Amino acid sequence: MSSQSDMKAQDALDALTAGLQARENVEDLIAESRTSSAGLEEFVEIIQALHNACALVEPDPEFSDRLRADLLGEQHGMVKRVRQMPARVHIAAALALIAGCLLFMMRRLFGSDAPEQIQEEAIATPL
Amino acid sequence: MKNFFARRGSYDELDDSALVKLAKEDKQAFGELYSRYLKKIYSYVYHRTGNTHDAEDLTAKVFMRAFSHIGNYEDRGLPFQAWLYRIAHNIVANWHRDQGRRKIIALDDYVAHSLKSEAPDHLAEESEEQTQLMEAVRRLPEDRQQLLLLKFIEQMSNAEIGVIMGRTEGAIKSLYHRTLLALRDDLQLMSEARRLGGTEV
Repeated sequence: MSSQSDMKAQDALDALTAGLQARENVEDLIAESRTSSAGLEEFVEIIQALHNACALVEPDPEFSDRLRADLLGEQHGMVKRVRQMPARVHIAAALALIAGCLLFMMRRLFGSDAPEQIQEEAIATPL
Repeated sequence: MKNFFARRGSYDELDDSALVKLAKEDKQAFGELYSRYLKKIYSYVYHRTGNTHDAEDLTAKVFMRAFSHIGNYEDRGLPFQAWLYRIAHNIVANWHRDQGRRKIIALDDYVAHSLKSEAPDHLAEESEEQTQLMEAVRRLPEDRQQLLLLKFIEQMSNAEIGVIMGRTEGAIKSLYHRTLLALRDDLQLMSEARRLGGTEV
């Protein structure tokens, strides 16, 4: 069971912590702690140091994306990046793919005997 | 399709309890909860473990467990945030038990962390005093570490911390007082030891 002085010290520490976290005038809080009988002066530095040290830490974006994908079953990495590209990029890529396929087919259909023809012509040509 | 996008767009306007109800059947709602709490849970775990590798591993476990158990979660006076912190606390406690030792930052991890470009400036420039302070925090019993991190990272009130830790507001206030006293004594002891070590050399 806490004694009266303990409870007083607990309340004062609580108020001091809240004040420091709210960035109230530190000098006033320190002066107040000096005059109070709770003897809080020695805690000011510790509370301030804790306030500075215990900050939010940003996780690695790659880690957060990967974990989200694992949890929600989404694609991540290259596939996700491709899917997030604008529609005009998708259309341009599709057109380029179709054009490439057409070119390949045309070469197969109309230009497949071209190398043999050249060879035959080379043989037929007298020296 | 239209409804789907309308609902997706409004996720950020929903409070936690509404999102939790949706998240039982809708993965995207859980995704919103994940976005809200990832940084907080990661920070909590990071400060408890002291290194990035374990912090990532344990944070992943926290969210995996939350995701697999959200169907059973019911808000009976325990808000989602408090539930998530309880999961984090249990996972970190088990990890400490498995490690069989109080975690003190390994040199490699400390160097890696200091060099890590993603780390915020204030951490990269963390002074030696701050490092000693955090090491002293990690030497405290688990419940005291939890209290300090919730108070200083989350800036939670004693009542909110009490909900997470299953104690009364008065008990938290008293524990905070005892924690600061223990921390002060530990830091004084360490400072004295360093001073004596320095004079002996």
